[in-house]
Amino acid sequence: MSYFETLTLALRNISGSKMRSFLTMLGIIIGVTAVIVIVGLGNGMENYMRESFASLGSNSLNVIINGRGSARSVSIDDMYEVVAKHSDVLEQISPVASVSGGIKTGNEAHRSTSVTGVSEDYLDMKDFHIAAGRGISYMDIEDRKHVCVIGDFVNDQYYEGHGLGDTVRIRGAKFTIVGILESETEDTYVGNTDDVVFMPYSTASRVNGYGTIYNYNITMHDESQAALAKQVIEDALFEIFADSDAYNVISMTEILDFMTTMLNVVITVLAIIAAISLLVGGVGIMNIMLVSVTERTREIGIRKALGAKESVIMRQFVMEAAVTSALGGTIGILLGYMLSSVATKIIQIALDPMLAVTPSWDSVLMAFGVSAGIGVLFGYLPARKAARLNPIDALRYE
Amino acid sequence: MGALIEFQEVCKYYYMGDTTVKAADHISMKIERGEFVAIVGQSGSGKSTCMNIIGCLDVPTAGTYLLGGRDVGKMNKNELAEIRNEMLGFIFQQYNLLPRLDLIENVEIPLMYKGVPKAERRKRAQEVLEQVGLGDKLKSKPNELSGGQQQRVSIARALVGKPAVILADEPTGALDSHTSREVLSILQQLHRDGNTVVLITHDNSIAMRAERIIRLEDGQVVYDGDSKSPDALVQAHIPEDEEEEK
Repeated sequence: MSYFETLTLALRNISGSKMRSFLTMLGIIIGVTAVIVIVGLGNGMENYMRESFASLGSNSLNVIINGRGSARSVSIDDMYEVVAKHSDVLEQISPVASVSGGIKTGNEAHRSTSVTGVSEDYLDMKDFHIAAGRGISYMDIEDRKHVCVIGDFVNDQYYEGHGLGDTVRIRGAKFTIVGILESETEDTYVGNTDDVVFMPYSTASRVNGYGTIYNYNITMHDESQAALAKQVIEDALFEIFADSDAYNVISMTEILDFMTTMLNVVITVLAIIAAISLLVGGVGIMNIMLVSVTERTREIGIRKALGAKESVIMRQFVMEAAVTSALGGTIGILLGYMLSSVATKIIQIALDPMLAVTPSWDSVLMAFGVSAGIGVLFGYLPARKAARLNPIDALRYE
Repeated sequence: MGALIEFQEVCKYYYMGDTTVKAADHISMKIERGEFVAIVGQSGSGKSTCMNIIGCLDVPTAGTYLLGGRDVGKMNKNELAEIRNEMLGFIFQQYNLLPRLDLIENVEIPLMYKGVPKAERRKRAQEVLEQVGLGDKLKSKPNELSGGQQQRVSIARALVGKPAVILADEPTGALDSHTSREVLSILQQLHRDGNTVVLITHDNSIAMRAERIIRLEDGQVVYDGDSKSPDALVQAHIPEDEEEEK
């Protein structure tokens, strides 16, 4: 009796009692659906985080100088020198001076707009592109000019697209708009990536009242060298301060990796909980198969009398359990995908249009394999019971 | 060539607590190819045990059973399954057809376990069903047929693998007298066609249809000979229960 014939027979027996087969599969269906949706949610969250971080620049490091009393500090030139010295790893540097309070256009205040003082390289480092006018220049920084570049959102919302050459008030001072940036994002909420104003860092450090620069943004050639880049900068700063508390080097990649690890732990725990239902489903299959063996005792007796070997009977029952389980797994996969797309729609409306539930092929293949495996595992005991039935007793069974 | 079926001092004991039930007690007999033999006995006489052993569904506790010259007592479960498949065709009292399968599928089961390809199987199953007069009901389910028709399906199933022995266990037990006669004449026809038929029954009038009768009582052969002889119908002695229990 070939495997194909055994499979056909199993399918016939399953379709012979549809309701029972469906109820038997239910545990597996629920388990597989849950695993797929949960893993999909995890993937979606990870993608979301990666994209969010990518817009912050996952190839960059933030350096925060806390200083050590007033005795020692690090100058902007020192920082530039560090980057130049390690140009094999590090690429560009820009001092970063944030200016709080937002902007004022005419008589309207827009507190959500982020205002940052940067170097002439910064826009390039962050992949901003000039749509009109020019960027920040070295001379602007040298001369502490009151000029700025505004984001697409600011230009659109507050200047009706004609901001170039106009002025903006920041902390009481008047700035000339010398450049407009291209749009970076589809988002339309206030405070998005396009709701920004950049000015020379030298001007910013005066406007915000600190006088010196505490933050730097440094890019590296290769994202995967984040740890090395961080080490290089830390070593250089330790030489200057001789105190590791005086500075902080934050790598976005490192934070992202950490958060991804945390997220994966949570998702794994959830998936394991969901997988318990697969186990319960397996026990359900075993139960029904045992009932089925009892019900079909006479059939087994007849088949044995007609020459079926134990292995053939065994194979028939294991196949039936495995097919039931795998069928449940397949339904679960379909249901999981459907539920994922429904969940994605709801989440995108209710929470964030960037967040999607994306089931992975890994989890689908695994769910299918595990459910078929559970069928074989839990079908084994009933199948062995069937195979070992004494043909005489089985034939007499009423 | 030796006998097709040969029992040499075959014993089958069942142990129930302290008592030993001797279902077969040193039975010796030979059945040749082409014979039509009825094994007759009251319930408890050991005829079912005898049929189980002949049918390779059970092995003797002691003694030797040779089927076609091979010692069945020394076979493992797989070999028993194989020999049942190749050498034996069973006809049961309760027909024992599988209700979910149609007639062709029921009849082809022995061929399926023998590994005959599907097309060939179908063809042979159809042939034997036609032979027993059910050629027009190939796709019917067993429960759509009368008792007599179902028994004919079961005969077809017994025949399909061209077994050496056709073993009929009370084949008329569930049938009325008219259909019983019908089934018996099919068995007689099979015998005339050269098949070896072993009929197990408690009913003398049925056993009469065979050529030879082996009468069992308390696990022992009490008559073995021509079914036409008057002795064949007589119970040899009233069982002496007191003696048996010792």
